[in-house]
Amino acid sequence: MAYVITGSAADAEDATQDALVKAWRALGRFRAGEPFRPWLLQIVANEARNRRRSAGRRLRLALRVAEDPAAPDVDRGALLDAVNALPDDAQAVIACRYLLGLSEHETAVALELAQGTVKSRTSRALDRLRELYD
Amino acid sequence: MTELERALSQLEVDWPATPSFAYRRHARRRLLAVVFAIVVAVGIAFAVPSARSSILRFFHLGGETIERVQTLPPAQERTLRASLGIPITHEQARLLLARPFAVRDARVYRSGSAVSTLLPGGVLFSEVRIAGGAVAIKKFIFGATGVRSVALDPDTTAFWFPGRHVYMPPTLPARYAGSTLIWQRFGITYRLEGRGLTLDRATSLARLLR
Repeated sequence: MAYVITGSAADAEDATQDALVKAWRALGRFRAGEPFRPWLLQIVANEARNRRRSAGRRLRLALRVAEDPAAPDVDRGALLDAVNALPDDAQAVIACRYLLGLSEHETAVALELAQGTVKSRTSRALDRLRELYD
Repeated sequence: MTELERALSQLEVDWPATPSFAYRRHARRRLLAVVFAIVVAVGIAFAVPSARSSILRFFHLGGETIERVQTLPPAQERTLRASLGIPITHEQARLLLARPFAVRDARVYRSGSAVSTLLPGGVLFSEVRIAGGAVAIKKFIFGATGVRSVALDPDTTAFWFPGRHVYMPPTLPARYAGSTLIWQRFGITYRLEGRGLTLDRATSLARLLR
């Protein structure tokens, strides 16, 4: 997720590391019974956004298809090209929702958006992807 | 889910390699080595699909602690039926779980804080409610297992532990366990276990058990 936000492997690594240290220090404030994953994702996402802002420019996220000869019968390269061709905001929601498997709520937390915005942005991004991919 | 969404979900992306945070030199980085096993496993591993199995070492999932070890601890061979515990009523189960047991019209048993039943096909289904984040059950898995996460629905992720591992229930000696699916919902840790249990069958059952 940090990579999706920063667009840089090095920044994502640093952001994740700093976030984990912050999470460790903040564990005492974590409310027992609450889901842990969104809490941790929020800390990682905040740190990744801070790093992106301090870098002063947004690196373009460039996703590559993994080598997988047993992959299902879809043109994975073309599909990922279509994802890479999306505008940044659309690419981010698609990456969070489908490539990372985050829920709408988690995506909203990660990208600092309202859940309704995630839903509408996802829908528009899928429409755009269909145009690009088909 | 549309065909496009399914194709996107199945895309294997070449994510940047997960770094070894444990070997940084800076003092603050060293602190990370301590928390790496706990936090990374539940955070980054779950967020990056390709890293899930490779960096999983130790994590808590509701009432269960899962540890990956080089050698399995000693354990008994015990049938699932022998692991059920004592029979209780559905009302007693409801009081223990603070909600009705998910399988109605079945014989229900209690072993420690676990409420269980046997499903057709030799599948053990258990529910454990843990208050205050306490851990009641330990599970040991060996080496590079094919542990993976599965989305039961948009808000619920289950974890699949294929093959033999050691299960340490609250009030009985450790025993060898078959393939297991674990998930959490409503503050309850749910568990399906069976020697011949497949991931497809386990996830189908899990989606029915609401």
